[in-house]
Amino acid sequence: MSNMNLMDRLRKYRHRLNGGTIEYDLTAYRGALQEIDELQPRFQRLRDEQITGFSRDLQRWIREGDSLETLTVEAFALAREAVSRSLQLQPFDEQLIAGLVMHGGKLTEMQTGEGKTLAAVFPAYLNALAGKGVHVLTFNDYLAQRDANWMGPVFEFLGLSIGCVQEGMPGTQRRKAYAADITYLTAKEAGFDFLRDSLCYTPEDLVHRSFHFAIIDEADSILIDEARIPLVIAGSSDEFEDGPAHMAQIAHGLEQDRHFEFDDHARNFHLTDAGAEHVEAILDCGNIYDESNTETLTRLNCAIHAQHLLHPEIDYLVRRGEVELVDEFTGRVADKRRWPDGLQAAIEAKEGLTAQSKGVILNSISLQHFLRLYPRICGMTATAQSADSELRRFYGLHTVVIPPHKPCIRKDLPDMILPTRLAKQKALVREISEAHETGRPVLVGTASVAESSRLADALQQAGLSCEVLNARQDKFEAPIIAQAGRLGAITISTNMAGRGTDILLGGGEHLEKQQVAALGGLYVIGANRHESLRIDNQLRGRAGRQGDPGASRFILSLEDDLFEKFRLKELLPKTFQPDSADRPIDNPMVTREVRRLQRIIEGQNTEIKTTLCSYSTILERQRAIIFCKRQAVLHGPSALEFFKSRAGTQYELLASVLSEDKLLTVCRRISLLSLDEAWACFLAEIADIREGIHLTRLGGQDPLLEFQKQAIELFEKVPIAAETTALRHFEQLRLKNGDLDLDSAALKTPSATWTYLINDRQFEEMLGLELIRNIGYSAAAVSSLAGPLLLLYPWLRKLGRKLRMRRAA
Amino acid sequence: MMQGFQSLFKIPELKQRIIFTLLVLIVYRIGGHVPIPGINSEALIAFFNEASQGRGLLSLYDLFAGGAFRRATVFALGIMPYISASIIIQLLGAVVPYFQKLQKEGEEGRKKITQYTRYGTVLISSMQAYGVSVFLESITTNSGLSVVPYPGFAFKLLALITLTAGTVLIMWLGEQITERGIGNGISLIIFIGIIATFPNALLDEYQQIAGGNRAILTEVFLLGVMLVTIAGVVALTQGTRKIPVQYAKRVVGRKVYGGQSTHIPLRINTAGVMPIIFAQSIMFVPQTVLTFFPDSELMNSMARYFDVQSIVYWIVYGTLIVFFTYFYTAIAFNPVDVADNMKKHGGFIPGVRPGKRTAEFIDNILTRITLPGSICLAFVAVLPYIITRFVNVSFNFASFYGGTSLLIIVGVALDTLQQLESHLLMRHYDGFLKNTGKIKGRRRF
Repeated sequence: MSNMNLMDRLRKYRHRLNGGTIEYDLTAYRGALQEIDELQPRFQRLRDEQITGFSRDLQRWIREGDSLETLTVEAFALAREAVSRSLQLQPFDEQLIAGLVMHGGKLTEMQTGEGKTLAAVFPAYLNALAGKGVHVLTFNDYLAQRDANWMGPVFEFLGLSIGCVQEGMPGTQRRKAYAADITYLTAKEAGFDFLRDSLCYTPEDLVHRSFHFAIIDEADSILIDEARIPLVIAGSSDEFEDGPAHMAQIAHGLEQDRHFEFDDHARNFHLTDAGAEHVEAILDCGNIYDESNTETLTRLNCAIHAQHLLHPEIDYLVRRGEVELVDEFTGRVADKRRWPDGLQAAIEAKEGLTAQSKGVILNSISLQHFLRLYPRICGMTATAQSADSELRRFYGLHTVVIPPHKPCIRKDLPDMILPTRLAKQKALVREISEAHETGRPVLVGTASVAESSRLADALQQAGLSCEVLNARQDKFEAPIIAQAGRLGAITISTNMAGRGTDILLGGGEHLEKQQVAALGGLYVIGANRHESLRIDNQLRGRAGRQGDPGASRFILSLEDDLFEKFRLKELLPKTFQPDSADRPIDNPMVTREVRRLQRIIEGQNTEIKTTLCSYSTILERQRAIIFCKRQAVLHGPSALEFFKSRAGTQYELLASVLSEDKLLTVCRRISLLSLDEAWACFLAEIADIREGIHLTRLGGQDPLLEFQKQAIELFEKVPIAAETTALRHFEQLRLKNGDLDLDSAALKTPSATWTYLINDRQFEEMLGLELIRNIGYSAAAVSSLAGPLLLLYPWLRKLGRKLRMRRAA
Repeated sequence: MMQGFQSLFKIPELKQRIIFTLLVLIVYRIGGHVPIPGINSEALIAFFNEASQGRGLLSLYDLFAGGAFRRATVFALGIMPYISASIIIQLLGAVVPYFQKLQKEGEEGRKKITQYTRYGTVLISSMQAYGVSVFLESITTNSGLSVVPYPGFAFKLLALITLTAGTVLIMWLGEQITERGIGNGISLIIFIGIIATFPNALLDEYQQIAGGNRAILTEVFLLGVMLVTIAGVVALTQGTRKIPVQYAKRVVGRKVYGGQSTHIPLRINTAGVMPIIFAQSIMFVPQTVLTFFPDSELMNSMARYFDVQSIVYWIVYGTLIVFFTYFYTAIAFNPVDVADNMKKHGGFIPGVRPGKRTAEFIDNILTRITLPGSICLAFVAVLPYIITRFVNVSFNFASFYGGTSLLIIVGVALDTLQQLESHLLMRHYDGFLKNTGKIKGRRRF
């Protein structure tokens, strides 16, 4: 392992030449590894209680001021001993090195199936010794639970407590989990808890401790793919949307292309003139674009969006009389998530469900900015390579590649690309049944719940039985995964099995494992390409784990959503179009175009993230200011002082009746409530500004600068508004029977959370303006005119001289 | 204002950036005085003093090269080959699918485009350098003195290498400013070249007064007019008309803080300095042609009308500018595109149907506000000629009364201020500073 082979070396140099930042050199860590090895015999002699005792000693030393660095070797060696005793597993050197790398605040790339969960134990243990809490952020709830259960014994053996947070857990359990030394949870849950904490009215309600250290599993997905999604927390208001049913009916009656049209990527739509007239006739409202009709138009837009852009079984499920959203990344149903801005009501109207109460956005933070709140983060993933520069730019994370313990012998077969969806379906069934006949287990990755069901039906018709793992079946996830590697298993999955899932060949039975391995191991078939090559590779990585045999192949069609969206067909020359509908297109050009398409999408996504990040920088500073203000009120007496000085008479009146404690609680509550409200209003208005700010570019101004100016201007009004509201509420407080009448200050509490996407490349294609944006455009004209003239000039002069000479003659 | 300036230097990073920018600009200016080897500088100066073509297109090129062209220095080609290359690559992006794809590939694609632009710069500047070397070899002063004493392949090669290297160096300097300094490096390099002639012009004026050729009162009046003109140009560059826009995507709650509403800012001068440059280029044509026929009676009488001092010239020139303002506005700002884009993203002007009607609406307003804009622009362009005709000032000084120079100076200055402001805004909450006054920048000059 110590000698890199030639290919690796070449790859490394090429990467360096391209200005890459990935580290391949592990010599720096080998010294520490050797020291750990030297300690092992000493620890092996200890009794179990002595190990726990030594762990307590380490904790004490850290508390007494020793740095984590001086105890790294001891802690790692001890953790290794604990792992081998409690789990009967011997950690590989690679896992220890990965642990060392992560402790150094870097990102490790370990191939799929190399045991990242175990590698995380070491830095988690070391950093937990400080007693300030360590968060292991997993990709989804299932993995949080699984890893916590799996690694729990190790930490308990070492005398540390472990916690796990799951979606929908009540506050008391959450608080307990966060109080543990090591907490397994998803990044989103941690983020939502941070937002909920930012709406607490008493210090006792807070669930988070202050942040200390986070280990991010599947870091590329969480830090790159999901980072652009803001977490939004909303409180329900008592209002209900009125009339969405009527709108849903109208929207249902509209026809695509006649009444409305989609944009190129089918993300937006707009009414055609005929559509507008049609709607105006039904609603009898005059010009629908008139200022007085804004609300009607908004509702109509929501209804059309719900009707034609969001699809059941893909974007959401209807279960138990409720609309449930499917998370784009994990493929799971997201608990308590809704669509913003009236879209939820529109969906409910479309599905004929009773409307939920309307939400008001109270606070939001992007995952990216939330993760930056941790003083130290590190991460691990199997697919960091193409994301390394971005990881460094946004998070300062360097990537270190750990070579696999056993070389990966998975066979990645070339893509099979078919002209039509139908042909693809047939090819999938054929490929699956061929593999199945030998008894080889097959895992098929599909894009949506609908697609997985469709394929399952097709297989059923062909007489093959299969298991389906999708958002509808999420309860059966563990048993389905456990069986997926057995002889003759066919598992159809959505992206639920895309990451982190460990499929054991033969379901963990030794004999069966050998049989499966003899057949070639697990065969992974991808039915779609994803937006990034990294995600594709994750799916492939379900096979060939830890040196097991395996194979993977993507079976695609030119009519796949991804390709339709970006018009792959038009990119291909006519001569490459297939001659027969059922035959695969066998052309390297097509494969290359597919890869290029992914690069384009990746590039665009990076751009969205960069823009989003630059726009939210100012907001994050403002959030920090509000947060500090909030903390001061929450933990100190400033609320009392404020009301005492600004509303003296009312204060005296209340102080004479209420106990000091009670008064402080009430004052705090009112101050915080007003501050939150002012902040929420600010966010709403900022969102409005954000929506159309790109238009300022038409006037030659920098939209970002304009946005910052307006944000700063608005923000100055936030504390003033908060104080005014607070004073109003305070004056309205009434006493009833010698106690406070709390109804006079009705408070809203958050009950729902959701996330949504922001689109930020509206004016990208404004060629006329963008064309010469980055260069001096007047000089441009000069050079384009004068430049060639420079060449012509001598010739013109010569001509002039000749003419003169002729005249003189 | 002064407070704003002070705060610039309170932020270490900003201070560093400003100093860096100044240093790079100094390097650029020094390079603008190093002649190409093998040139008889005295003969060159004599030639340019004699040549009436000094006022022609070459002088415009010289303006952008900061006088380096006239002196045949290593920076004679200026930054223009780089700009040409950028434009060509950008235009290729609109035509050739390969470049189109590159433009859409984000980071990676941009890197490649930058790479191609650099190659293009080398190619274009070596072509231009060859032209310049041929030109230099061809010219002699009236006294028969050759500018290049030893012409031939060796000189051409030498000139080609030095000029190309010079341009590549300027390109690098510009990129350094953009990256580590303040403002757009390319714009600043042109800016500094233009403004570098101002001290000389002032010196001339001083000598006029010292020599008793001009009353101090006249001079004060002249400077007053200059200030008014500059203020006018600033107003012309920044004047906008706001058209309200709405997005019916979310139910808008009550506005507590009353922030600005969304709007399209339409400039009264969308075309910027372009119309003047177009018009100037056109007006050079008759001048250049006339010089070929020095003996023709007809041509000589024609030449009188095409002298920059003649009122006929002013009227033709002004009319051309008004025409080109409309022409370029139509190219740069396509209401149909804007309307289409708004429609696609759910935006609309209240009361106006999206699509065609919106385009017509915007077009209408644009046409109306462009008229005063274009007339002002024409006036600003002609003003230097008027000044030279009625007050005997050097053209060098007069050129700061309007025309290309002033518009570019004002444009780049506003842009750089805007950049400074954005740096200040980023640190708004660092506890250092308060409002620095509003600076509206324009599109990157």
